[in-house]
Amino acid sequence: MKALVCEAYGPVENLVYRDMPDPVPGAGEIRVAIEAIGVNFPDGLLVEGKYQAKPQVPFMPGGEFAGQVAALGPGASGFAVGDRVLGWNVGRGAYAEQIAVPAGELFPLPASMSMDQGAALLCATATAHHALRQRGRLQAGETLVVLGAAGGTGIAAVQIGKAIGARVIAVCSSAEKIAFAKAQGADEGINYSHEDLNQAIKTLTDGRGADVVYDAVGGDAFDACSRAMAWDGRLLIVGFASGRIPTLPVNLTLVKGYSVIGVFWGAFTQREPAAYAANMRELFAWFEQGKVVPVIDRVFKLADGVKAIQYVTGRGARGKVVIRP
Amino acid sequence: MKALVCEAYGPVENLVYRDLPDPVPGAGEILVAVRAIGVNFPDGLLVEGKYQARPPCPFAPGSEVSGDVIALGAGVNDFQVGERVLSLTTRFGAYAEKIALPAAAVSKLPPFMNYDQGAALLGATGTAHHALRQRGRLQAGETLVVLGAAGGTGCAAVQIGKAIGARVIAVCSSAEKIAFAKAQGADEGINYSREDLNQAIKRLTDGRGADVVYDAVGGDAFDACSRAMAWDGRLLIVGFASGRIPTLPVNLTLVKGYSVIGVFWGAFTEKEPAAHAANMRELFGWIETGQVKPVIDAVFPLRNGIAAIKKVTGRDVMGKVIVKP
Repeated sequence: MKALVCEAYGPVENLVYRDMPDPVPGAGEIRVAIEAIGVNFPDGLLVEGKYQAKPQVPFMPGGEFAGQVAALGPGASGFAVGDRVLGWNVGRGAYAEQIAVPAGELFPLPASMSMDQGAALLCATATAHHALRQRGRLQAGETLVVLGAAGGTGIAAVQIGKAIGARVIAVCSSAEKIAFAKAQGADEGINYSHEDLNQAIKTLTDGRGADVVYDAVGGDAFDACSRAMAWDGRLLIVGFASGRIPTLPVNLTLVKGYSVIGVFWGAFTQREPAAYAANMRELFAWFEQGKVVPVIDRVFKLADGVKAIQYVTGRGARGKVVIRP
Repeated sequence: MKALVCEAYGPVENLVYRDLPDPVPGAGEILVAVRAIGVNFPDGLLVEGKYQARPPCPFAPGSEVSGDVIALGAGVNDFQVGERVLSLTTRFGAYAEKIALPAAAVSKLPPFMNYDQGAALLGATGTAHHALRQRGRLQAGETLVVLGAAGGTGCAAVQIGKAIGARVIAVCSSAEKIAFAKAQGADEGINYSREDLNQAIKRLTDGRGADVVYDAVGGDAFDACSRAMAWDGRLLIVGFASGRIPTLPVNLTLVKGYSVIGVFWGAFTEKEPAAHAANMRELFGWIETGQVKPVIDAVFPLRNGIAAIKKVTGRDVMGKVIVKP
């Protein structure tokens, strides 16, 4: 099969589109013929050797996919050849025509969901969902501030915040991105390349501050939010797209009794499988109701996967980027 | 009346035992004849000008009292002259023979508590209770690590952790303090002047880490705990008795999906009065059954209040220190 391969840790440009052996499904595993792959920010970090996981080369990056069941390994059940599925696997490599994964990691793709939407759903949308439900305990009527609101996981946080019934403030770096976030349901926008973020949050909340902040950006934006939290607020740490990991003087949390909370969706799916399954049911229901619909910005061919990753790591994307083998 | 007076911000030694005019209760206030004063770590910071509040000089420090109602201001209906009461006030003035308090900040002292216990209860025990219940959501069977477990609020956290049904690990700076914490119910002890705290927590939790950490110490002990948290753990920020306010690289929270949570009991009592009232009912219940018992280390006369404050800020206490007019 064809795949996008990392032969040595280094720049994303060094990825090679070449043949790799077809994966063989082991016991309890299923081989999926991939039709769409979701591109995520960490994919670039992984091949550059800057991610916490460091698989042995050669490997394929990518973890998020949708496709059709092509073969069942010994003892695998729950699916039949030809079933439409979506899945997520850390470390097996989804930038390829085929993947073999444990059957338990696959979900049936709802009939009304396209392959592209299925591949765009898990990392971005399920991360935002887990963050806002389990970690942020976001309630209807609370104010949610979403940093990087036009990006893949930011736009999912905007949609899910509205589905839960919160008031959503989208924080973006341009008027165009704010307009995009508002089209996805955001109530307010802050252009933080023009406005002081801390002051703008306080202005929009009558001085109260944010109940919940969804932060996949880090850097200066985190610093501003760490001083603009409401009483009992929850500042959700999702990632550091700005490139700078912030440090928090922890006395800032005292006066407002607020929380800084790490979000790691991948570990959540492994450690809390029942809560993960319940989340997916809610997410699929919101999709059927049209409340949460993955937004696809661009679709690339697998042979052009390098460009797809660079488009995402360059922070130009509005919504998700998908690759098709 | 006699009082311990701060005439200018400076060292604790500069406090003067002298006469101040008797306070007069205003509308909605109660005049209390002080029988016992609880000494708290911030009392020293306040007179040194290192606390967030800076009352105008001259003033008497101190915020935690028990005593007898001796006069009622206009509009006070819930109290009678002669009743035994306790209070933690945000206004200071407790190091004195009399204090005027807002009726809303005063509670009746239950018959099964003496004045010393009443003055020892709120600052230490009320804080630990709020921290572990509302902020830490501590569950029976979880592992609670208490830093400074022999101090006033640490000792309270040990007792309340046991009342909730948690396994409690006491962290102290000497074998003597560990023995004291174990006498209060702690299951395990770590002497962090001898042992690496991070490694010791992992050893005592089979590598899992702490579910909840109660940290009124900060500094190096915080740093060690920030790398020894369990999945979905809660690191409670209560104070900085070590004198160093830690800074947290926020990516540490990601891998274990844990939370760093500020605890501010005073603001909690004002912002969430219903939850505060429910807490006090639970706390009085635990005291009546003997599960929670304020531990009095030493009692000083008011004229020796400087020595009392220095004993607490010198971190030389096991339990609470009380001053009596």
